[in-house]
Amino acid sequence: MEGYLNRIPEMVEQIRAVRDTIITNILLIGQTPAPTFREKRRTSVFMDRLAEFQVDEVTTDGYRNPIGVIHGTSAEKPPIFVVAHLDTFFNKDIVYNYSVGENTITGPGLMDNTVGVGVLVSLPFLFQCLGLRFESDIVLAGVIQSIGKGNLRGIRHLLKTWEGPIRGGVCIEGGELGRLNYFSDGMIRAEIECSISRSTGVTHKFLPNSILVLNEIINEILKLRLPQRPRSRIVIGKISGGVDHGAVAYEATMGLEIRSHSDRIVKDIYKDIQEIVDGISHEDQVDLKLSTISNLNATRLRYNDPLVKHSAAVLRALGIEPVSDPTESALSILLSHNIPSVTLGVTHGYNYYEEDATMEIEPMYKGIAQIIGVITAIDSGVCDE
Amino acid sequence: MNDGWLKTNTFHYSEFRDVAGLVAAKQKKGLTISLCLPTLNEERTIAKEILIIKSELMLRHPLIDEIVVVDSGSTDSTREIAKTYGADVYEANDILPRMERYQGKGENLWKALYITRGDIIVYLDADIKNIHHRFAYGLLGPLLLHDRIKYVKAFYDRPIAIGKNKLRPTGGGRVTELVVRPLFSIFFPELTQILQPLSGEYAGYRDIFDQIPFPIGYGVETSMILDIYRRWGLEVMAQVDLDRRIHRNQDTKALGKMAFVILKTFINRKLELGLIDLHEKMYDEMIQYNLVREEYKANITRFEGHERPPMIGIEEYREKFFPETTQGESP
Repeated sequence: MEGYLNRIPEMVEQIRAVRDTIITNILLIGQTPAPTFREKRRTSVFMDRLAEFQVDEVTTDGYRNPIGVIHGTSAEKPPIFVVAHLDTFFNKDIVYNYSVGENTITGPGLMDNTVGVGVLVSLPFLFQCLGLRFESDIVLAGVIQSIGKGNLRGIRHLLKTWEGPIRGGVCIEGGELGRLNYFSDGMIRAEIECSISRSTGVTHKFLPNSILVLNEIINEILKLRLPQRPRSRIVIGKISGGVDHGAVAYEATMGLEIRSHSDRIVKDIYKDIQEIVDGISHEDQVDLKLSTISNLNATRLRYNDPLVKHSAAVLRALGIEPVSDPTESALSILLSHNIPSVTLGVTHGYNYYEEDATMEIEPMYKGIAQIIGVITAIDSGVCDE
Repeated sequence: MNDGWLKTNTFHYSEFRDVAGLVAAKQKKGLTISLCLPTLNEERTIAKEILIIKSELMLRHPLIDEIVVVDSGSTDSTREIAKTYGADVYEANDILPRMERYQGKGENLWKALYITRGDIIVYLDADIKNIHHRFAYGLLGPLLLHDRIKYVKAFYDRPIAIGKNKLRPTGGGRVTELVVRPLFSIFFPELTQILQPLSGEYAGYRDIFDQIPFPIGYGVETSMILDIYRRWGLEVMAQVDLDRRIHRNQDTKALGKMAFVILKTFINRKLELGLIDLHEKMYDEMIQYNLVREEYKANITRFEGHERPPMIGIEEYREKFFPETTQGESP
């Protein structure tokens, strides 16, 4: 353990030395559109890059997740999964114009998750440059259909159909450097659609306004009493509706997430919201529909789990103080399959969800070193303890 | 019209994906290759062009021997960024300083002949938003694998960027379709087989480029095709499908100016060849009108139409590349 921990800081310089190829991978991935459900072109680029780096097997699984496998030296050791989600929030019709400055890179979808994918496809090249061989096969997976309505289908399918045990997993996200996620909350992501009948008559003397109806629902949600333990919360993240400043809004939609350390509480809160929706729908005589977009079960490793401890040690060896929060990502699917796993962030950035999302280049080298350090830790057996 | 050239001399970049094979061909022939990026305020795109080409075609596969940026006096950080990422950066005015100074893309391309050392030179515009190393290896493939080919031009699907980062799936190439293609159809039907004669990406052997004149502005692509066609014929040329290139959309007035320069270049070439007579002088000013406060105001842009002579005739060039030849005598 001490041996590789000492070596990790030395890797940073070696990684910096191949900066051009790492940034090239980020650019080639980033300038290829990959909206959720339409990741085909980025899948091709992903596989092309792995093939160019002479990865032993490059293929797709039955769900079209692109996968590369670097053969390990031991046939007995189960594989280590390194995962980054391929899809972005942006649609296909914008210009994926990436710009590189002296210290930063800017472009749509960069922090979520072009950097993660770019680093993932750079790993075979970096392993070659650093002279690293592993006992386990390293499975590099760019999983599709992760975001929003994708509901992590790519990683779910990959793990469901993978034959044989998996030794451990590392999920790569663009930011922030220092994150060390090892647990995920139970989560339901839902949408409430409000629709007002356009016909006038006996039903309504005055037409209701769908935005005001949603406002009423929000007020009722805010009255719900949420437990402090297990920690639980409702995030109202999206709302849209109406067509003009002076016209009654016939249609409106809001999106929300219920999160809790406890799956039972998530379900209870969902039921409460369903009752609020049903009540207002009845009393205001409007069409209201609550539907689930995606959901996750709460899963976690313990803080004293060997993988978490060793991962934290890797970060600290690089002078990075680990920060742990719950995450709603591929990690929860890996953990739900009892695969010891963590999520790591590559670098610092800002404007994550804007077209000018920006990352800092310099911290990335440490971010990559920590990923290689954690893979090395898993390969040395920390998940086997 | 014989359209055989379109079939025999049109390639797709994917035919040249085996970059290691191209490197072997280059080494077998003992060639060196230079990449030139002409720039004017390209700080948003220059770094990624350098990074991707350097990573893939210099460090991982030694196909290209040098990347040279020739800058027309950018006022942004183009030169600093290009240096940061490892290109050799020159200001056009500092090259061959005894000569009169001009500003324009053609000027940069011409001066690049003096400062580069490659037997083959690849010219890429520095504003490519979706740069990929195929832009360089795709152009080099026919030159390295087909001995008869000396000059290669790019063509591609051209989505254009409109508004703030929005993309229109088809379009672009308006000056080609409205000006160049009709002219070629009337005077040189064979040349209509070149699908995008105004594309800014091309590569060729030095001994082709140094024997032709370079207009300093927009006309450089048109004149290059006409001059190579006239001297060596269509057979030495090829075109490569580079798949897709996203470029800036220019407004109609800017395209009008481009069309003006191209037309003038074309007519000048026809006059030189004795193929047409002109009984009145041509003017140097493009006149466009703008409505300003309910009044039409003329916006006059002057294009002098300067042209650099073949580089082979420049004494400094001959001293550098052909020191054994007598001063003032062409090799």
